[in-house]
This record gives sequence, structure tokens and C-alpha cells, in this order.
Amino acid sequence: MLLAFVSLLAGLMIAVLFQSNQKPETRDTRDLWEIRTELNEEQIKQQNLYKQISEAEEIINQYENEPNTEKIETLKEQVNKLKEKAGLSEKQGKGLVITVKPIFRDIKNGQAYPTIPPELINRLLNELKLYGATDIAIENERIISITPVRAVGDSTYVNNRPVPPLPIDIKVMSKDLEKLMDYMEVNKINDYFAIENIELSYEIEEVITLPKYDMPIDFQWFDSENVETGES
Amino acid sequence: MWLTFIFLIIGITLGLLTDLRVPDIYENYLSIAVLAAFDTLIGGIRAHLEEKFDEKVFVTGFFANIFLAALLAFLGVQLGIDLYLAAVFAFGVRLFQNIALIRRYILERFEKNTRKKKSKI
Repeated sequence: MLLAFVSLLAGLMIAVLFQSNQKPETRDTRDLWEIRTELNEEQIKQQNLYKQISEAEEIINQYENEPNTEKIETLKEQVNKLKEKAGLSEKQGKGLVITVKPIFRDIKNGQAYPTIPPELINRLLNELKLYGATDIAIENERIISITPVRAVGDSTYVNNRPVPPLPIDIKVMSKDLEKLMDYMEVNKINDYFAIENIELSYEIEEVITLPKYDMPIDFQWFDSENVETGES
Repeated sequence: MWLTFIFLIIGITLGLLTDLRVPDIYENYLSIAVLAAFDTLIGGIRAHLEEKFDEKVFVTGFFANIFLAALLAFLGVQLGIDLYLAAVFAFGVRLFQNIALIRRYILERFEKNTRKKKSKI
């Protein structure tokens, strides 16, 4: 009888273990709409790639079919274009100006003068880029892909230079400025700045100038294979 | 011996029907306990074939093995050493030894039977 009981126990344990090890199979639960949007995204990616290929082919054509002097011209043009893309040249045009001002509340004991913490700047930059900003400058510091924003001691540094005390201007360029402004005006980020006693106000100006990035770029740690492309 | 198998099957069906599941953290313990149970069962079958089977030894061996294995696994988790591997190794080796012995006994018995039949003819 004991033998039967023991084997019953063993059987039970085996069954429980077997069941615990059974993982439910992962099924494709996307519905038609999700698949369609994914397909759409991929198609846009494909189109972008085709566009890049055709641009590159055009440049190759120019190199091959033109005499030497014009080749140099093309090369210079190319370099300038890349510089503009990387934020290494000044840029002028219509743009959004975000004025960052301190808010003064009527507090009896007085209030410390507000400063922008780096987390908020990073967040703001992320939001701006999310809604289509192409070029950004914080006061006189152009934001490029490797711009560091960090706290050094008590102050916030952008491009390894301290951000001047408020008020400051953040200049943004985008393909669709109205939309960007609309998005930013209702963005939650305004509340986050308000907690720090900072107010953001948005205004579109006809001519703004973004300064160029003027620090040396250290290419030592760049790795072309693993760079994630921001565009899609 | 058949009682063992019948109740083993009953246990498995019962376990499957109850739909019990063990949380991930305790799976290690259960797996080692199952290994210990297997070891004891196979050992019991071998002892039965050798005609040395003792129920008391079997039952105490079953529980002591499981308890010891779980204790070892627990200790291993606390110390950060994979001590349960020691139990897995020990039980695994014994399992194979016992299975080999059982196979030999069955083979011997089979040969004896055929010889008997031949001598009868």
C-alpha cells in the first residue's frame, strides 16, 4: 500500500512539473489593422531607401560624366550639404522660438532663481524631435547628434558649455512649424517645466539663425556598422 | 511491481487533471524532487528483481532522498552555488546504473526461460 502511495506521489510530481514547464505557445495576435500599419511603415521605409539610392546614383552620375572642375564643384556641394545635415554650418530660415522664462510666484519667503535641469532639456529635445524638429539650438549651442546635455555641479551644460541663466531662447527648425507649435503648446512638458517654476512660450519667427556646432568632433569612437539611423 | 506502474499512471493523470502549476522559483526544487523520486522508483524495481526489496527502506529512501535533494538545492540558492547540479549528477548516475542492472536481470531471466524451454523440448 505504501508503495502505491509513493508511486502516486511520484506521478503527481511528474505531472505538476510537466505542466509547469509547458509554456503557452506565442501566437500572432495582431489584427488586420495592426498588420496594415506595419506594412505601411515598411513601405515608407522602402520608399526612403529608394530615394536615398536614387540620390546617391545621381551623385555618382555627376562624378562620372563631368569634367574635373565640375567634379570639384560637386564635391564641395556635397561637403556643404553634409555639413548642413550634421549641424556644422549656420542655418537661416523660418523657425520656432521657444522662450524659457522663470515664473515668479508670490511666496513670502522668497524663491530660488529657477535653473533648467538637464533631464528636462533632454525631454524637451526628445519631444521636439518626436514632432518633427530638424534643427535645434539652445541659445548659442547647436544641438547635433552627439551633443551632451548634463549636470556639472549645480549648473547645466550643453556642448560642454554652461547654459546661461534664464531667460533663454531655444530655436527650432522644422518642415511643418505650425504643427510642431500646436503639438508643443499642448504638450505635457509645459507642466513639467512649470513644476520647476519655468515657463515656455512659443512663437514662430520669419527669420532665425541657428549657430553652427563649433567644437571638434572626436571620431575615435564612431563605428559606422552599428550606428542606428534616426530617419526611417 | 505492476501496482507501482498503475499508481504512477493514476498519479500522472490526477496531476494533469488538477491543472496544478508551480511558480518558476520552485521549479528547480520540484525537478530535483522528481529526479529523486525516479531514482527511488527505479531502485525499488531493481531491489524487487534482486528479491531484496524492503518496503521500509523504499519508503524512507523516497522521502529522505527528496528532502535531501531539496535541501541541497535550497542551500545552493542561498550560497549562490549551483549545488543542485550535484544532486542531479548523483541521481543521474544512479539512475543509469540501476537501469543497467535491471536490464541485465531481465536479460538473464529471459535466457533462463529460453534454456528451460529448450531442455523441455
